[in-house]
Amino acid sequence: MTRRTLAVVSAGLGQPSSTRLLADQLAAAARDELVGRGADVELRPVDLREHAHDVVNHLLTGFAPTALRRTLDAVAAADGLIAVTPIFNASYNGLFKSFFDVVDRDALAGTPVLVGATGGTARHSLALEHAVRPMFAYLRAVVLPTAVFAAPEDWAGDDGDSALRARIRRAGAELAEQVDRRPATSGPADPFALTTDFAALLAGHDPT
Amino acid sequence: MQFGIFTVGDVTVDPTTGRLPSERDRIKAMTTIALKAEEVGLDVFATGEHHNPPFVPSSPTTMLGWIAARTERLILSTSTTLITTNDPVKIAEDYAMLQHLADGRVDLMMGRGNTGPVYPWFGQDIRNGIPLAIENYDLLHRLWREDVVDWKGRFRTPLQSFTSTPRPLDGVPPFVWHGSIRSPEIAEQAAYYGDGFFANHIFWPREHTERMVGLYRERFAHYGHGSPDQAIVGLGGQVFMRRNSQDAVREFRPYFDNAPVYGHGPSLEEFTRETPLTVGSPQQVIDRTLGFREYVGDYQRQLFLMDHAGLPLKTVLEQLDLLGEEVVPVLRKEFDSMRPVHVPEAPTHAALLAARDAATSPEEAR
Repeated sequence: MTRRTLAVVSAGLGQPSSTRLLADQLAAAARDELVGRGADVELRPVDLREHAHDVVNHLLTGFAPTALRRTLDAVAAADGLIAVTPIFNASYNGLFKSFFDVVDRDALAGTPVLVGATGGTARHSLALEHAVRPMFAYLRAVVLPTAVFAAPEDWAGDDGDSALRARIRRAGAELAEQVDRRPATSGPADPFALTTDFAALLAGHDPT
Repeated sequence: MQFGIFTVGDVTVDPTTGRLPSERDRIKAMTTIALKAEEVGLDVFATGEHHNPPFVPSSPTTMLGWIAARTERLILSTSTTLITTNDPVKIAEDYAMLQHLADGRVDLMMGRGNTGPVYPWFGQDIRNGIPLAIENYDLLHRLWREDVVDWKGRFRTPLQSFTSTPRPLDGVPPFVWHGSIRSPEIAEQAAYYGDGFFANHIFWPREHTERMVGLYRERFAHYGHGSPDQAIVGLGGQVFMRRNSQDAVREFRPYFDNAPVYGHGPSLEEFTRETPLTVGSPQQVIDRTLGFREYVGDYQRQLFLMDHAGLPLKTVLEQLDLLGEEVVPVLRKEFDSMRPVHVPEAPTHAALLAARDAATSPEEAR
């Protein structure tokens, strides 16, 4: 049985958090679909709230404290990523952006990413398209077509068959399909690995 | 083993008094600190090179020449010499000149510099950082070893029948270290030439140092300079001491909290856990420093950062007294007792001269 890992990142600030709730529902939908395809799935939940100080320290000092390093490595090593943020001022919140600012530049290249967001009004929903999607496109991630936004009214009267439920299932299935068609990731690249030798470095500089 | 200090040369407000030293104050403090280093029995003084405020040491050989005239034993070095934005011809000349004036008490450490805007001030581009470091150092290496050089490269005008003057003292070029925090290409460069590798080791977690030194040692052996444990390794370190460790923490905290680079970020406790910074008693500094050997192996040079973040000169001089009287004698004895005989000391001019003469002894030279 193929083992698959999904990192489930929430930038929700409240406790309990509707952003975490949406992230968990997206993760469950993707996991169920992958299990149906015969995979063994491990979910790795990441609450950025717990890393808020470390993220800022990383921005200031240029290196990740140990706990944040482990989380960054786990995100980079995952076969798929679910990333959910609350929408503040028509975009992702600062914590979400700051976390992905310290993710290694190539860590998410080629990784399937399911994006989601929560907000106080449905009028924020396109922030997923004009802010969150371009950021992951810049990181060369494979952002799935369905992005899931949940406004307060979407949570109301959820009888298991709401429009939000349907979108979550569809998005989870898209992520599962993309993860399933890829080989398991080998983990993040080693930044200290020597990928050249001195002859190659010196080539073109010394005519003798 | 060599022990010494390295200075960044920052002009920083003392956060406990609000006093900002003048550039003259800071430059004079740096030279006073260098003389004190010799007085308390340290082996090395190294100055940074910077071309932007709030840093003052833009002209290292001017400063080191002044110090050379007032010292007898101290090795004068840099931390680092910008191999990217300095003309390698001028480095060859300046440091050969210093070598003569200082009777050979000179080595230097190459670094790239990480401040993008500095590069264009000297006609360069930070995106060429690694290629500049490779090309410029290869030229510098030749200028110190070949009396007449014909050369053509990407980044400076060609040289035809050029002789860099003065020639290195006794025909022995200054020993060179290459400093890098996390660029494997620079560890490779140091290994290729059989030069020293210096890991900054301050502000950064020990894993960076461990990986970079490990790579350098492996490649040093690959290029046939000796076994991995014979490679020449230097480490930085940062300490603040008082006899009573609580006093050290209390006194250093405001400087830490407001320091350039890491200030207003992690707490002093987090930073001492995550990096080699040690704030405490001389014995704590001894114990922590001896521990560096466990992840880099036996090494040749330990430099401490003692004078940044607005610490007043008087405090720095007290720190040097503690370092020279209580810490270094113990470290010297302990490190020397643990080092196997086949692991060399850091090369000095006298040792390099003796090795050169041995290699060209009459019977071998015919």
